[in-house]
Amino acid sequence: MYLSLPEECSAENIARLWQETMPAITRLSSADELVVVADDVKSCAGSGEALILELHRRSATQGFAIVCQDRNGVVARTLRLFEVKRFLDNAEAGNSARRTETPVQIGKAVVEIFDNICEQLAFLGEMTVSAFKLLARPGRLRLRDTMLHLERVGVDALPIILLIGFLLGVILAFMSATSFRQFGVEVYVADLIAVGLFRELGALITAIILAGRSGSAFAAELGSMKVNEEIDALVTLGLPPVVFLAMPRVIAATLVMPFLTIFTIVSGLAGGVLVLMSLGIPATTYWQHVFNSTHLSNVLLGLSKAAVFGLLVGLVGCSQGLRASRTADAVGRAATAAVVGSLVLITVCDGIFAVLSYILGI
Amino acid sequence: MPDDIVITVDNVCAGYDVPVLEGISFNVRRGEIFAILGGSGCGKSTLLKHMAGLTPPLAGEIRLMGDPVTGGSQADRARALRHFGMAYQSGALFGSMTLLENVSLPLESFTDLPRDARCLLAEMKLELVGLKEYASFFPAEISGGMKKRAAIARAMALDPEILLLDEPSAGLDPVTSAGLDRLILRIRDLQGVTVVMVTHELASIFAVAGRCIMLDKPSRSMLAEGRPSELRDNPPCAAVRAFFNREGKD
Repeated sequence: MYLSLPEECSAENIARLWQETMPAITRLSSADELVVVADDVKSCAGSGEALILELHRRSATQGFAIVCQDRNGVVARTLRLFEVKRFLDNAEAGNSARRTETPVQIGKAVVEIFDNICEQLAFLGEMTVSAFKLLARPGRLRLRDTMLHLERVGVDALPIILLIGFLLGVILAFMSATSFRQFGVEVYVADLIAVGLFRELGALITAIILAGRSGSAFAAELGSMKVNEEIDALVTLGLPPVVFLAMPRVIAATLVMPFLTIFTIVSGLAGGVLVLMSLGIPATTYWQHVFNSTHLSNVLLGLSKAAVFGLLVGLVGCSQGLRASRTADAVGRAATAAVVGSLVLITVCDGIFAVLSYILGI
Repeated sequence: MPDDIVITVDNVCAGYDVPVLEGISFNVRRGEIFAILGGSGCGKSTLLKHMAGLTPPLAGEIRLMGDPVTGGSQADRARALRHFGMAYQSGALFGSMTLLENVSLPLESFTDLPRDARCLLAEMKLELVGLKEYASFFPAEISGGMKKRAAIARAMALDPEILLLDEPSAGLDPVTSAGLDRLILRIRDLQGVTVVMVTHELASIFAVAGRCIMLDKPSRSMLAEGRPSELRDNPPCAAVRAFFNREGKD
């Protein structure tokens, strides 16, 4: 078989030649001979050298002989630069050597999950110890940072909280009014909205917004600080990152959540009254039903949930940020893990609250 | 323009919003290793970014192989950009890809080579910088010096005629730095590329650079142009002498 290399061994020419000739070359056996005509080659880019190397690699593995007509010394130069035997195990083989078997991958995943749980528990322990130390010496809390995070997590979130809360009230009112109208009891929509928002949805929706907005931001901020070695700098200065970085964020998230929940509830009730007024129910009747169905126990239950959800969002966001690895994509992964982890924990915790309030008759 | 001039920097005012350098003019000849020197913050990297077409200079013109890097038509700029590869100070490798994938990326985007050809070519580039054994490693798994070498391999993937290097030896130990200098010389000799490097490492300058220019922050100008040994032995001004003799300020 003859193979003539073009005058210009550019990527374009070699790509065409490679696709045209390689199937035939793959069929060559030890009884065959490949004559490579490189006499006309004037310039040879890396792709030309790759073709020459590939031919010699295939000759070594398939056993056919190669005869080179190489007046300009292009082939010889390539073979001087790159030893064929070093390329016999190709990149795919190199990659497969590092590829692991499925059982090993499963094992590694299980160990990773276990490590993750251990790290979360260690972080929780460290936070608890730090909280007790702070109670003993409150002056150690970085008040300025805490205030800054209170503003970022709380005040800056108000527009989205008010909008989502209002729309939630509108949706709840329309959805329930359609069913209640069949029985002529549309007026009880106010009771449903009030109980639903105070007991359950107010805290839950606010926590979901907080997880998406602030939990991910905590993880991304701390993850970036880890990549930039700022956290290492804190450690070498003798400042524990948990007290210095995590505590102000967790305190801010915990304190601000009940207030944000109140705003969600109030805007939700405002959304509800607008819908019911459009359905012909007077606002005074709506508010009367709201006040009658709102018990202090419901309010306290909702606000306690809110504080716990805020604590969870803060803890998960900070722990994911602090345990992020040092690559750029790790920051994105930490932010995702913070949101997913927060949502899972919030749901689980909400379930626990539901069971406990049922048992306690609240 | 003489045939052997590959880069022309003509009366360039460098900077992003505020000029840090003014009236900079020089030529780079084919096959030479050209160093841009100067103290920290004097605008070396900014000038290199202008040369790479990442940001346009505030005034003046830069031409690679006769084509304008900035200004001109989109086609002119695209043609000019195909002439060079650039390696960044930190390596700027993509963390989610192995070294082989990092080097293969430009081949995948700009050539029709089949996958096995791209892999082999990427391996050859890694072999050239001594990293073939690390082809399947991720950037986070290798050292800073290796990252810089891998970045050079990626910059060389499309066989550019000009290689732009931003502080290739910064942050490396002397042995690794000397190895990188040898690699730059080897690439120039084997591939015939023209190398433009920004550096303030004296050892590297004397080891590899054929010619250099010296930039100055206070005067926002080019203080000198010539061979490194000439500038060291016959400095045209006090700032150049201070740079080459490491005379610090108190």
